[in-house]
Amino acid sequence: MPELSRRTLFSALAASPAAMELITSTLARAADLSASGLVGEIQGPTMITDPAQWPKTFSEAPMLAELVKAGKLPPVEQRLPAEPMVWKPLNEIGKYGGTWRRAFTGPGDGENGNRILSTDKPLSWSADGNKIVPCMAKGYELSEDGKSYTLFLRKGMKWSDGAPFTADDWIFWFEDIYGNPEIVPTPTPEMRPRGKAGRMVKVDETTVRWEWDVPYFLFEEIMAGDTGLGGGQAVRQSGKISFGGYSPAHYLKQFLPKYSSVEVVNARAKQEGFENWVQMLHFKKDWELNTDLPVLGPWRSVRPINNPIWLLERNPFYYAVDTAGNQLPYFDKVQFTLGENLEVINLRAMAGDYDEQERHIDLGKLPVLLENQTKGNYKVHLDLGFAGADFLLQVNQSYDADPEIRKWLTNADFRRALSLGIDRDQLNETFWLGVGTPGSPAPAESMPQNPGPEWRKKWSVLDVARANTMLDGIGLTKKDSDGFRVRTDNGERLRIQIIAVQAFLPYPKLSEMVADQWRKIGIQADVKEMERNLAFNTQRNNSHHIFIWNNGGTELLYLFPIHAIPVDPVQAFMGPLYGAYYASGGTQGVKPTDENWLKIWDLFTEAASLKAEGRNKNAQEIWKILVDQQYGIGTVGQSPAGLGVRLVSNRLGNIAARVCNAQHCRTPGNSHPETWYFKS
Amino acid sequence: MLAYLLRRLGLALITIWAITVVTFIILQLPPGDFVDAYVASASAGGASISAAEADAMREAYGLNQPLWFQYVKWLGHIVTGDFGRSFEFGKPVIEVIGDRLWLTVLLAVGSIVVTWGLALPIGIYSAVRQYSVGDYVFTLLGFIGLAVPNFLLALIIMYFGLRWFNLSVGGLFSAEQDLAPWSWAKVYDLIWHLPVPMLILSLAGTAQLVRIMRANLLDELRRPYVMTARARGLPERKVIFRYPVRAALNPFASTIGYLLPFTVSGSVIISVVLSLPTVGPVLLRSLLSQDMLLASTIILLLGVLTVIGTLLSDLLLMWIDPRIRLGQLR
Repeated sequence: MPELSRRTLFSALAASPAAMELITSTLARAADLSASGLVGEIQGPTMITDPAQWPKTFSEAPMLAELVKAGKLPPVEQRLPAEPMVWKPLNEIGKYGGTWRRAFTGPGDGENGNRILSTDKPLSWSADGNKIVPCMAKGYELSEDGKSYTLFLRKGMKWSDGAPFTADDWIFWFEDIYGNPEIVPTPTPEMRPRGKAGRMVKVDETTVRWEWDVPYFLFEEIMAGDTGLGGGQAVRQSGKISFGGYSPAHYLKQFLPKYSSVEVVNARAKQEGFENWVQMLHFKKDWELNTDLPVLGPWRSVRPINNPIWLLERNPFYYAVDTAGNQLPYFDKVQFTLGENLEVINLRAMAGDYDEQERHIDLGKLPVLLENQTKGNYKVHLDLGFAGADFLLQVNQSYDADPEIRKWLTNADFRRALSLGIDRDQLNETFWLGVGTPGSPAPAESMPQNPGPEWRKKWSVLDVARANTMLDGIGLTKKDSDGFRVRTDNGERLRIQIIAVQAFLPYPKLSEMVADQWRKIGIQADVKEMERNLAFNTQRNNSHHIFIWNNGGTELLYLFPIHAIPVDPVQAFMGPLYGAYYASGGTQGVKPTDENWLKIWDLFTEAASLKAEGRNKNAQEIWKILVDQQYGIGTVGQSPAGLGVRLVSNRLGNIAARVCNAQHCRTPGNSHPETWYFKS
Repeated sequence: MLAYLLRRLGLALITIWAITVVTFIILQLPPGDFVDAYVASASAGGASISAAEADAMREAYGLNQPLWFQYVKWLGHIVTGDFGRSFEFGKPVIEVIGDRLWLTVLLAVGSIVVTWGLALPIGIYSAVRQYSVGDYVFTLLGFIGLAVPNFLLALIIMYFGLRWFNLSVGGLFSAEQDLAPWSWAKVYDLIWHLPVPMLILSLAGTAQLVRIMRANLLDELRRPYVMTARARGLPERKVIFRYPVRAALNPFASTIGYLLPFTVSGSVIISVVLSLPTVGPVLLRSLLSQDMLLASTIILLLGVLTVIGTLLSDLLLMWIDPRIRLGQLR
């Protein structure tokens, strides 16, 4: 019997040569994106807006037909709006039935389902995410002067309980929900262009109009984006927030004191175990928790999110059909199974336990995911994002705890040198398996706000020699015995702190690699890995030097600017005090000393009153300043790192080769899961 | 005896009150509140929460009230048995825990039985047959069991379970049964899922108890009374089981103090790794999301169970061991 030495044991435990070869070859293939077959062309179902091409007769899912037969549900013709949404599915007309199995991580993961219900948004985006298209509303009109915006609803549209959905539901939200300070204590800036409150009026049963005192062309984008008013009921009225623009008036009135009295609703709240009527209302209007709440999306909760299984079932009154007249969705149910941690979810995904899953799938596991494709009977798609940076070093411009550190963080050449000292290709190969695009934080070239291809590489390539020259040039000439540059005030080593959270990508490890690369330019970076909540608090207290996050969402700068410009009072990573200054109109925070910020803010504020073309031009100008100044140092972007590694069972049909992976596309919502189906 | 009991009960009540104060203070120590945690987690989940929305949430949860007020309100509620609503789960805390409690208890009691069932005979065997091949084998296994972190073991078992046996990964029910109402099929399904987590949960405890049992018994076996018993010709079996084993049992009784809270918190990390629908993961989640009412209720429950467990184990020790009993009464 051969002796089992430690060495032989180890070599037996190591991956077999065959497995290693498979992994390396898959990696090589993944690196060559065009040949890999992992990244396809953006596709989606086609919206048929010409009534002449609409189907004349309608049919429905067997489970609903039974209810109709039993007299529990009106026939499908009466359930659909007179003007339904008509989809020509991507490949073919689907078949009804089946349960879409997915993973979720618990009650904090409501966004998982919100996004699937996102066709309750008033307007949406084309498959490539570039054009505003009808959604729950059939269209809109913006007046020439930009002071009024009219939304047209679908005639005869209904809530999931069969009650009519009309302009009254919008006015109800505006007056009774949004207008009640006990429910919404702080009005949203989206309803207050230039600080002046707007009004919502009912024109007729299916027409709602917004009126503003100043031109507000940006509102068309807001109504389509993932915003307070354009996000839809599912996301904006769950989790104790109360925006969304409309609410089921017929259902929610019973919980409001206005329609009875405070005593009555409070008594009911006590009886149902709530502290007061406001808390009861927050529960009642939350579709994730309250299965009785009428909704507009393709499915509705039948088992709430606070269970180990969150179950959705088809909405019998959903407003869309396919070109053959079949009421959508095709799937009967959506079942989310709780995975307490991401390792379990990824392992289950490899076992083929999920029919479609893009959320919580780890890009770093791509080789193993590919290896198990056949066994798990699924296919992997990579949906590249449009944002410029999936790993963004946001340099705090309002830092004030240490004057010497502040001096360097606010020095443009210092930031540029830091950027030139980063080897983006090494990061890309190591952490993105080569599938990302290295460069500046500017959005993808295909997006209308991209400032031009020359801004991808600006200050955003590896040039150690130049970085060293620049650092010497600004006065950081002295180095200590280990070769690190020293502070100009006390001669100690200059230490820049990077705060990194474990999210989307292993940010702490990425930061360590950057810190290592910066040794060559004599900069000492201390990476601090923090728990998410603590990190966000540190940021809010203005005590970070550099904060790591991505800039997903900034491809539509005006809808989600917080990782590009400090404008938000609580999340302003590049200058918390500047963010407070902007948001408060100058009454709080600190006025920037850097003229560039004032210029950026002017362009940003002005954009709200400009038409699309002007807005995009302003955004391009802003991006040029941002890239030139390197407030946020971009590394690698346009990758599938966030929500972009998509596993799809081979049993599903009408699946796009690539989908729009972006904040405003509500991935996977914009790829219209209601048109997917089980082929077998 | 009665006075002793009453005194212990009174002390227990004071301890529990102290636990509520400490619990509340500790939970407030990390910076930020539930809304901060919610905003941070929303950002990581690809949602955007505006400042206006965060304000509204803080108002709705009463998080802008002073700390002492929140504490008094909470205490006032829990003495009436109302533990409030979990922020994150949006349902009464009692329901959140209740759903998972009995599965936790089942799992914990199961793993305690496994632990004792394995540790007791092995410990006795190892002590009686000291330095035999069997003793060495069990000692080796015991040290491995002590040294390998349980969660690592859980991950490895899960991976190989998937790879070789195509076992479903984690959880206590298979996907088909999870939604089904209770039936024999579901019970069968549960029984099928139980052994792996039970074994993993009990492994470290077993290793530890084997060592303790072995050491204690070895001490006892060398006592003169054992020799006397042997010299008087008592059968070996009787010699060992009637006297030294009983004396060596003390550590088993004293572990009850820790076992009770263990039935609730389980071992948090293993439950998270195995994705078990038990209380452990909820505790972790509530601490991360700063879901005050839920976290404080679970921690309070743990505190209370520790106090009760200690009390029980003291009483049990008195019952098992006449030396302690007589010492107390004298």
